[in-house]
Amino acid sequence: MIGRIATAYQIELIKAFRSKLSYVGPILAILLVLMTPLLHPLRGDGENAYRFIAFATPTALNVLGLFLVLSFCASLISGETGTGSIRLVFTRPILRHEFVIAKLLIGFTYAITVSLLVAITAWAIAFAFGSASGVEFGGEMLFTSGAMLRAYLLGFALHLAPQFAFVSYAVMISSFMKSNAASVITSIGIWLLLDAVKYPLGISPMLFATYVDTPWEIFRAQADGLTLEWGDKVYWCLGTSLVAATIFSIAAIVTIHRRNFHG
Amino acid sequence: MLRVPPGAETGRYRAFATRCQPLTVETGLPFLGTISFMPVCLQAEKLEKRYGAVTAVDGLSLSINEGEVFGLLGPNGAGKSTTLYMLCGLVAPTAGSVSLFGRDLHEHFIELMGRVGVLTERPAFYNHLSVRRNLQLLAMLGDKDVNIDRALDRVGLIKYAGRHVGTLSHGMRQRLGIAQALLAEPELLILDEPTAGLDPESTQEILRLLRFLADEAKVTILFSSHQLAEVEALCDRVGVINQGKLVSCEEVENLLSYDQSQVDVLVDSPEAASKKLSEQAWVKSAEMNKGRVRVVLDGGTVHQLTAFLVSGGYKLSGVMPRQRTLQEYFLKVLNR
Repeated sequence: MIGRIATAYQIELIKAFRSKLSYVGPILAILLVLMTPLLHPLRGDGENAYRFIAFATPTALNVLGLFLVLSFCASLISGETGTGSIRLVFTRPILRHEFVIAKLLIGFTYAITVSLLVAITAWAIAFAFGSASGVEFGGEMLFTSGAMLRAYLLGFALHLAPQFAFVSYAVMISSFMKSNAASVITSIGIWLLLDAVKYPLGISPMLFATYVDTPWEIFRAQADGLTLEWGDKVYWCLGTSLVAATIFSIAAIVTIHRRNFHG
Repeated sequence: MLRVPPGAETGRYRAFATRCQPLTVETGLPFLGTISFMPVCLQAEKLEKRYGAVTAVDGLSLSINEGEVFGLLGPNGAGKSTTLYMLCGLVAPTAGSVSLFGRDLHEHFIELMGRVGVLTERPAFYNHLSVRRNLQLLAMLGDKDVNIDRALDRVGLIKYAGRHVGTLSHGMRQRLGIAQALLAEPELLILDEPTAGLDPESTQEILRLLRFLADEAKVTILFSSHQLAEVEALCDRVGVINQGKLVSCEEVENLLSYDQSQVDVLVDSPEAASKKLSEQAWVKSAEMNKGRVRVVLDGGTVHQLTAFLVSGGYKLSGVMPRQRTLQEYFLKVLNR
């Protein structure tokens, strides 16, 4: 099974590399980060550089990045169902749940790639126009560059949990649909709708999307010269994301497993 | 008659390695001796497919031996494609079972689908990739080494290997679909209208190739078609599906035998002869048809007919018992 999933994932990678559309998202994300200095001008000190990174990374990832991930992942299965190429795949020696797992993996790869490009671009700009020193206040070093890097890496790792939940959610919607457009619109539409009603309905603590900013709180606080401890929110972030990812992934697998693929 | 061109042992007609061999049984009986027969390749038992109140396939049972070419005929909406797709796992049956090579399809799906090549209706590929790349990706999902160039050469697409699939015509895509079905040199081919959209020359080429594979490599072929002439030329057996049921299953050789009760007669005065014959009690009908008299006998024999015409002073140029056609059989089975 692992071998077949690896092969299917390799096929997805080849298809993605050879599709021009795959590059649109990452390029847009990099462009957004490149334009962020217009909103958050850079000076030559370390504190300002880290504040820039703390602003640029979540802005790019949580505003544009999520749309990009949803758009890419929501067309992973619906595109193949709509064209009919999925029937060629399912007459080959591969099980349907292996196919869906490979789709989840390529979706997650895409999300990580966009995140990495945003992170690298933000740090490159910050240190090209700012300073690599740590965060100082009144001549006192509050957080060294190493501590800032560790906080960022921890935030980056944590933010992958809600990313994977978004990937799974979009792949699940994609498994329901036969049209890319319908799948993308539905996945974005439901997300925006829930975002609008989550507080009035009191369901915000249970939605993983509520916690997309949580992974960056420590780094942001340290960039401002403040010390912050991880609270319950990080556990809610991880818990809701992992539960959601599990439920959505299983739903996608069951949907494809039960579907009939006629002409 | 499908004939393979001379020198066909090379190139596109190089056969797959013959995998299946006939089973032999020593009976120990002097009058029977050794019996050899081909094992069953595909077995469907009481297949059903229901969509709510609609029954697409109703209790269909089918058995195909290894090396056999079986044609599935039926009117539009009869359930041919649904049946084929249940046999290759694309559609889950509501009831019934499917066995390939003696093993249940759903329990041994991975192993069995490595031995099966499937062509679906209107095969779809990844348009942004080349012909060769599409086949390479599909080949990766199996565990056999495949020869992409040979698969493309078999269907006449080798010179288009580098083209994007999105630029291919419908006929070329159909040929590419056949190439992907033949990619892993399967033992069983399940083809849904394999010649749909092909020009006459390509159609003949594909039919010739399929017949060659069936004869030389004993590939079992199950295909559906609307083209009766193709089924006649290619198949060993034919089944007719109507309203989800397999209403008939016959050997093509038997179906196309000569019908001694229907005779075409060439005489010098066909109008007069047909009139005279119509009056005879042993003639059901005698009608003019393109300069000849088409006689349907009702208890009479061909000998009686020729004797009657000769004694009536007619100059007889030919007496030809009519060969049955698949179309007649098809319409008769469907009561049309």
